[in-house]
Amino acid sequence: MNARSQNKLVMQHVLIFKTNIATVQARSKVAPLLDQQSFIEKWTVDMEDVDCVLRVVAAEPVPDRIIALINASEYECAELED
Amino acid sequence: MRYRDENKIQAIRESAIEMVVKDGLENFGINRLAKAAGVSPATIYIYYKDKEDLLTSISTEEALKMTRATLKDFNPEMGFEEGLWIQWKNRAAFSLDNHQSVNFFEQLRNSMYKEKMLETISHEFHSAMGSYVHNAVKRGEIREMPLEVYWSVAFAPLYSLIKFHNEGRSLDGRKFKFSEKIMKETFDCVIKGIMK
Repeated sequence: MNARSQNKLVMQHVLIFKTNIATVQARSKVAPLLDQQSFIEKWTVDMEDVDCVLRVVAAEPVPDRIIALINASEYECAELED
Repeated sequence: MRYRDENKIQAIRESAIEMVVKDGLENFGINRLAKAAGVSPATIYIYYKDKEDLLTSISTEEALKMTRATLKDFNPEMGFEEGLWIQWKNRAAFSLDNHQSVNFFEQLRNSMYKEKMLETISHEFHSAMGSYVHNAVKRGEIREMPLEVYWSVAFAPLYSLIKFHNEGRSLDGRKFKFSEKIMKETFDCVIKGIMK
């Protein structure tokens, strides 16, 4: 199966952000907000990384909505560019 | 929209293995890996959620690669001697051609990745090897013995030769180079020792 057909089948978008979600407490503050969104299939934060990378697997390519959600809980969030 | 880029994945995998071999697991990090692989950290995060996810995935793939190479042309119904010779040839070829993989496995020893890796390969590997040994016992070609005894006689001699070869020297600093002739000579001794 090639990459294109795989994407069509599952329609997943992986969105990558730089944040300051650096601790378990911080993570638990943003968790309810992200968990509530039906377009978010799963998300993880790599707290070991300097950029505390937030990785979201979503049904829609909507980075701005994720940034707004994280900002709403008073954490920083910016798309990590390629 | 981003699509899977197999070239980038390959570059990430190869650099990750190289980094672990060179600097060990403790010094491994996504940002350093990104630099070494010539990709951005964001690209790595597209494919892996963190360092653990990446190392688990790569070690499992490497282990499957090794298992497949080891079991190539092998079938558990084979006679004992024929089957063991195929095993020797496959294992020697893999060890000699895949230095990086072998050194990578060496680094994973005593880590959590080793456990996960074993879980993945044990089914495929043990079902083939287990029934091969069992069949040989049933046919009366070898006697029943503890696994450790079996492995130490059946395979450890081969790995000694490979170790000598990799170091370029054997005992007392004697120069050593691996060859199929040497392998066969050792194999014949093993067969004499292990078969009834």
